[in-house]
Amino acid sequence: MIFLAKAAEIPEGERKLVKVNGVEVAVFHHEGRFYALNNACPHRQGPLIRGTIGTAAGRTGCFIRCPMHGWKFDLATGDSNGRPANATIYPIDQRGAELFIEI
Amino acid sequence: MSIRLDQIQPIIDREYGYLITEHPHWSLTKGDQDLELVAHALRVLLHMKTTPRHLAEYLALVDCQHADGGWGKMSSHQESAAWVTAFCALMLIRGNLHLKHPRIAEAVRKCARYFLETQKEDGKWSDPSWADLDAVSHPISFFDVLLSVGRNLVDEPTLSRIKDSWRKGMQFMLERQAADGGWYDPEFHPTGVEITAHLIQDSIVADLVLGNELNVRDCCQKGVLKLLSVQAADGSWDGENVDHTMDCSRSIMLVCSILGTRAQCDGAIERGLEWILKHKCETGWPDFPGMETNLERTCDGLDTLLKYKAYSQPVTTAIMKLWGYAA
Repeated sequence: MIFLAKAAEIPEGERKLVKVNGVEVAVFHHEGRFYALNNACPHRQGPLIRGTIGTAAGRTGCFIRCPMHGWKFDLATGDSNGRPANATIYPIDQRGAELFIEI
Repeated sequence: MSIRLDQIQPIIDREYGYLITEHPHWSLTKGDQDLELVAHALRVLLHMKTTPRHLAEYLALVDCQHADGGWGKMSSHQESAAWVTAFCALMLIRGNLHLKHPRIAEAVRKCARYFLETQKEDGKWSDPSWADLDAVSHPISFFDVLLSVGRNLVDEPTLSRIKDSWRKGMQFMLERQAADGGWYDPEFHPTGVEITAHLIQDSIVADLVLGNELNVRDCCQKGVLKLLSVQAADGSWDGENVDHTMDCSRSIMLVCSILGTRAQCDGAIERGLEWILKHKCETGWPDFPGMETNLERTCDGLDTLLKYKAYSQPVTTAIMKLWGYAA
């Protein structure tokens, strides 16, 4: 597991871009939970850190919408709901005040 | 105009030089490539008027065309997709205006067959990577160019089928314009900015060049007004999105030129161009200010400056040529 960030650096509703082993990881703190995804959208590599968070009608959980061409991904699973590729997610291990991921 | 051509020409020259140094990263002659990037690069070659020096690039694109006439996202992918197929088809039909190569001409005919055979009953094409409206707009753009400058490539019965298909695709888009002039897709494009910019420039406005059968003038004017209404004070569109700002700037340049409404749009275009120039990287352009250079966006940036050069000329055909609506 690799250190990602201190939880206090990303207050509720905020986000942060962190580089881990040369990989850009988009970290979101949304409704009490932390999420980490590869920042590059699998469509045209758009920056998910600039995306819009929302809740899909009829679906559980939250999604992040890529700002480039609108692909949406489940924040927890990376599922793209039928698009040709999913986002890469990194499960977060919160140890006290610190966040870790495996990458 | 406040942006002088002698100001942007050195940028064009420098960025084109950069694109050429990046040749191994976009050329099919060097191996498997992302075909959207390839098409973006070929468009720059076209607009830099260097296509005749790059026949090998166009033939390499022909070489990876599938038996059904389409292409996939990567040159090695076996499954065809509508959007990227249309972009490749556009580069081949436009490139062959200069290259006049029989293998490219045959590939264009295969593209036409692909689109005729994959159109849905309601007039659309589907592509899981793109909103339906975008997936319709790009094949229609290919048909626009074929009907404008490539009629000699197909026989009369095929031309008739293309015209019918074109009409159905155009109707699909025209029926979905919102009252405020924009097009929206709740799944892909809730703000409607990029999709509106794409549709009016890439497909709909061509009707005015092709004989005004569908009377799209008001529709295009409403689309332009929609884009003008959502430009930010700093000149950008869609939350400082470089791609979408380039899309909107280019779209308005073409459509207002054809509509004869340049005076209404000059200020917005110049603010857009100034913002684009302000936020370029030392080399190339990023997707958003402050990010690293992206090669595809750099192609878009070059294309935008080259179209601005054409826009600055008094004759409308100068800019129409850069969409393939005039030879």
